[in-house]
Amino acid sequence: MDHEKKNAPLKTAGFLDNRCTRRSFLKGVSIAAAAGSASLVTGGCGSVASSEEAKLKWQEFFKKNYRLMTQEEKDATVTRLERLSKLQRGLDIQMSNQEPHNNVLFGYAFNITRCKGYMDCVEACVQENNLDRQSKTQYIRLFELDPGQLDPTSGDGKYFHEVPVKDKFYMGVQCYHCENAPCIKACPTKATWREPDGIVVVDYDWCIGCRYCLAACPYWGRRFNWGNPVVPKEEINTKQHYLGNRMRWKGVMEKCTFCVQRTRQGKLPACADACPTGSRVFGNLLDPDSEIRFVLKNKKVFRFKEELNTDPKFWYFMD
Amino acid sequence: MRILTSRFGFLFLLPAAVFLACQPAMAGHGSVLERIHAAEQPFDKLQIGSAYQLPVNTVLAKETYQGGVFRVLGRKHAISRYRCSVCHTKQTPQVRDGALITHGYVNIRHGEGENALACIECHNRQDRDFLIDMEGQKIDFDHSYKLCGQCHFRPKRDWLGGAHGKRVTYWAGERVVMNCTSCHDPHSPAFKTKMPETYSLPLD
Repeated sequence: MDHEKKNAPLKTAGFLDNRCTRRSFLKGVSIAAAAGSASLVTGGCGSVASSEEAKLKWQEFFKKNYRLMTQEEKDATVTRLERLSKLQRGLDIQMSNQEPHNNVLFGYAFNITRCKGYMDCVEACVQENNLDRQSKTQYIRLFELDPGQLDPTSGDGKYFHEVPVKDKFYMGVQCYHCENAPCIKACPTKATWREPDGIVVVDYDWCIGCRYCLAACPYWGRRFNWGNPVVPKEEINTKQHYLGNRMRWKGVMEKCTFCVQRTRQGKLPACADACPTGSRVFGNLLDPDSEIRFVLKNKKVFRFKEELNTDPKFWYFMD
Repeated sequence: MRILTSRFGFLFLLPAAVFLACQPAMAGHGSVLERIHAAEQPFDKLQIGSAYQLPVNTVLAKETYQGGVFRVLGRKHAISRYRCSVCHTKQTPQVRDGALITHGYVNIRHGEGENALACIECHNRQDRDFLIDMEGQKIDFDHSYKLCGQCHFRPKRDWLGGAHGKRVTYWAGERVVMNCTSCHDPHSPAFKTKMPETYSLPLD
């Protein structure tokens, strides 16, 4: 008797916890529907593979926002996406959902004295992040500027001639991963947010393509997929991250993620790794011994449009 | 009324002033700079397990970086004819070997006018397997930064700290940086002009 009494409140609590939410109800219904339709289709002319694809697509469609997922759900969606890539493209990919590391805040510094405008960074970024080759989407844009200018809008962003040109300097512009980012505030579906290690990311599955963030960003840091991105199969980078360089599709927003798939593994972003002049310094802002902290402490630094109070984690410096 | 506004007009500015004064304070809550200033503990380099020592030829630098040690890319393995003393012996070279053993391919464009450098200003005349600095100290090819730093002391100071040069592949893990000669040809150290790797489309 006593034993039962003790258990009674626990039972109700458990019942409350297991209350069927709208989302989980829909998910259950959808899976059941998918299974039902799949069984019908397999009875007819469909193959087993297509029913598996349909089932995975259903489950993908009704998943949560990435930030609300438990670790198991994150692992499940990554497994589903890997399988879907195999089914749809015939491509084996490794997708990661690596969480941010403790005590890490990524920061970037760009040496405007050293940059020669070779654009190796731009090319490396395109290759690394599976950017659309058809529309020639690029996260980085290099501007050729006259001395004394510090506003890229006064420079030439589409140069194609032998570089460096005498008496010109080069300034790279990309997403600055603002601590106080206007794009995050503008998003109506909370599809974009700042991770604890400072990277501003997009959950492409929750992006509705309204492009408010594009309008809100004062740095032209975001790119929109006007069509389905075209990447030759042999050029697809198979080392992907859920919040990073996995394949996007028509109607979603994308942006520089500081190469989240690389930097959370301890690597430099592709642009910094590719730079032949060493103009790009990347590191952990919370580590007093890091290179980026040396730059901030010892060099002349400035942030672009600092007066907007966006608090970007991207500094320009000069020798 | 006019006197009132002229005398106490500044009072209307007061709320605005208070608002402006508060704004940075509000934005400053948890701002990047505040977080940076608050972070004094060095980051555990080995915390990120996937950042490992590269399987490349590196040597322990004979310098310190923020009180700690670091590694630089080696140079000797990249010199195709090293060791130099294989050819540079006491024996008189044969004239017929001349085309093979001279260094005609080396084009020195280091320093201008009166300051142009000659071979022996860096290469050790006595021991060809080493370089030599202005004080007559032997310097290993792998540690050429000690030689370069004699004149280029400011880039060297920046290189030691991390503002010049670059790390190899990893921002975490053990610090491995490129050597001076990894990027600069010691005989002609200035970067060349070339066509860019790609191009960007116009903005509109």
